[in-house]
Amino acid sequence: MKRFLKKYYLEFAFILPLTLYILGFTILPISKTIWMSFQDPTTGRWGLSVYRELFRRPDFVRSIFHTVVVTLIELTIQMTLGLLIAMALKQDFKGKGLARSLVLLPMGVPTLVAGVALIYIFGTQGYLNELLFQLGFIKTPVYWTSGGIKSLFTIAFADSWKVMPMVVLLFLAGLESIPSEIYEAGSIDGATKLQSFRHITLPLLKPTVTMVILLRAVDVFRIFELPLILVGRATPFLATFAYDEYRAYNNLHASAAASTVLLICIILFMYLYFRYVDKGGAFGNGK
Amino acid sequence: MASKKIWKKILFYLGIALICFFMATPVYILFRISFSIPEEVLTQHPKFLITNFTFKHWDQVLKSGNLWPPLRKSLLVATFTMLSSLVIAVPACYAISRLNKRLKYIIVLSLFFTRMFPNVGIALPISVVFLKWNLLDTHLGLVLAHLIEQLPFICWILVSTFETIPFDLEEAAMIDGAGRLQTLASVILPVAAPGIAVSAMLTWLNSWNEFTYALYLSLSTRTLPLQIYYYVSRGGFFQQAAYSTILAVPVLILTLVLQRFIRGEYLKGAVKG
Repeated sequence: MKRFLKKYYLEFAFILPLTLYILGFTILPISKTIWMSFQDPTTGRWGLSVYRELFRRPDFVRSIFHTVVVTLIELTIQMTLGLLIAMALKQDFKGKGLARSLVLLPMGVPTLVAGVALIYIFGTQGYLNELLFQLGFIKTPVYWTSGGIKSLFTIAFADSWKVMPMVVLLFLAGLESIPSEIYEAGSIDGATKLQSFRHITLPLLKPTVTMVILLRAVDVFRIFELPLILVGRATPFLATFAYDEYRAYNNLHASAAASTVLLICIILFMYLYFRYVDKGGAFGNGK
Repeated sequence: MASKKIWKKILFYLGIALICFFMATPVYILFRISFSIPEEVLTQHPKFLITNFTFKHWDQVLKSGNLWPPLRKSLLVATFTMLSSLVIAVPACYAISRLNKRLKYIIVLSLFFTRMFPNVGIALPISVVFLKWNLLDTHLGLVLAHLIEQLPFICWILVSTFETIPFDLEEAAMIDGAGRLQTLASVILPVAAPGIAVSAMLTWLNSWNEFTYALYLSLSTRTLPLQIYYYVSRGGFFQQAAYSTILAVPVLILTLVLQRFIRGEYLKGAVKG
């Protein structure tokens, strides 16, 4: 033991601050939040009273529903569009550099700013309504952010715009890791473009797909800034609900319970994904 | 046959143009609004092209005196978050990158899992504790909070940076009689410098943009993102555009500079172990 310490003291000294920080400022607060959510605010007794109270409130149940639905919509949009754009950018064409820069542009826009820019587009007097009006699709303005399924799609589009660069970059990296010899072999065997996409690109891209889905799903479940700015309290999400409970109503325990539910949603999603969609997925294959 | 090919090409370019249009429009509109006169955009039918522009809103923003305190706070917090995350993460990531593969994989994966926790769940107890410690509204408090998110992030990039440096390089230096710290300082760090620089700039950007923790931990002072939120909740139609532009400009410049270096592999390589 002593020899072990002597040999590795430098490594320990190096890793120690990071470990302590993560323990003290991430693990401890999370445990505290979970702890708080099981404590009754008035009597201080243990139990599920906070949760019972919460699940009786329709806006909380709606916020769970909104969070899950937006995640599903977003993943669908981002997977299809992201892969499509990445495959387009992999081709050689004139003006590729410019197209690439423009696609990566949203990365240079802070999420909050993206929210502001999208207010101007999705607002009642915004540019989307004007465009649809000019094209003759609508006569009266549509209230995109007033709640309901429209608002969910608005949020999903807004967030997808913001994160598209990251998704495209991940897919590009994945596409580039597929050796071109496989495609050549495929075309010698007479595979059409569609066939080689179905039987070469998709299977070999599976680790990337898993990676993108997990990264994105975790982020979308926690979505906070965009709903706060774009739709406010009309369409609560789990994160904005937790914030409102704390700041507006000073309901610490309810806020903690909402965060815990959010954490459970994320864990549940990952579990279901690995159990049913990707057995032994990318984390296993990657090694 | 030939005409079919041409049609395909036209369709392809149309698709590309459409994508570019969608990606660029929101940014264009933001700049446009911050320069436009109210009659053009605050109507039922806002104009798309700039026909008339004014610096009035910019003048107001710059002269109101509401810009400098948040700007200063944002700059200071971002810079100190970057510096302290480097001080904590660089040695740690070097050590992690030299561990055996299995252990490294576990550590990187658990770093990923800390990113899974909802921010609002971490920010709640943090703000309660910081209230007790008198850290609300202070720069120090916000730096401490930003580190929560930035440390796992910077570690991802740094571990994969250090991994690419071959062990032989260190051995050679040690055989030449350099101590371990000396080797680290004079051999490893210079080789890793580009990766460290990129990760430092990304951390700075993340902290500059950060909103959730700032919202929880600020009562009277504001960072730039909070200032934008303030105007959004108050309906300051033009101020929010102007402040958003100010917030976005350094980000746009830095991402343009970094574009060559930001790749999917950074995120991927770390997880693949």
